[in-house]
Amino acid sequence: MEGFFETITRGNVTEVKVVLASVVMALAGYQVFLMAIGYGKLRLRFLERAPATRAHRAIGGTIVVVSLLVAAMCLAYFELDEAAVHAVVASALLAVLALKLVVVRWWHSAGRFLPLLGITVFVLFGLTWLTSAGDFLSD
Amino acid sequence: MDERSRTRQLIGSLLAAVAIVAVVVVAVTARLGPTSVAELDAREEALEQRQEAQEEQLEARQERREERLGN
Repeated sequence: MEGFFETITRGNVTEVKVVLASVVMALAGYQVFLMAIGYGKLRLRFLERAPATRAHRAIGGTIVVVSLLVAAMCLAYFELDEAAVHAVVASALLAVLALKLVVVRWWHSAGRFLPLLGITVFVLFGLTWLTSAGDFLSD
Repeated sequence: MDERSRTRQLIGSLLAAVAIVAVVVVAVTARLGPTSVAELDAREEALEQRQEAQEEQLEARQERREERLGN
């Protein structure tokens, strides 16, 4: 697996991971903005609640796929003891993200917790980014 | 608002996401620098080859000098 990522990134595994993680972080911020419109907390003349919510769903799917790819790169390429805090925060992120997906798809009675889950996912994305890509970019 | 307007809004929202992705990729790549590991390796290899060639030239020169002194 390590060799596979080395090959597809032409030896730039860390750099590609930093770019992808930064893209996911920026999109996570945009997701919060879209759902602020979706929940009616923010009203804009050019964007209604329904299209904002649909865009949030579509972008969310993309974020999940890219996040799983980044997680696979982390697991295949880096040692766990290199970044213990990052590993813990990222594991929590994936767990909350999975729970959010379950609530959206199947567990509709827990739908009232979606805003809380969404904010938690955003905060965990921020912490995960800060403990890896943010650290790398600030060097 | 009709369905066409909503579709336009949805497409606009997705295009905004694409623009965000493009801006982040450009900004982070600029921060990291455009040079890939492969290019850095190639540069290092070229430098090593140049150093080897210089050393060989130096050795050849020394040999010639020694031959001249021997004659």
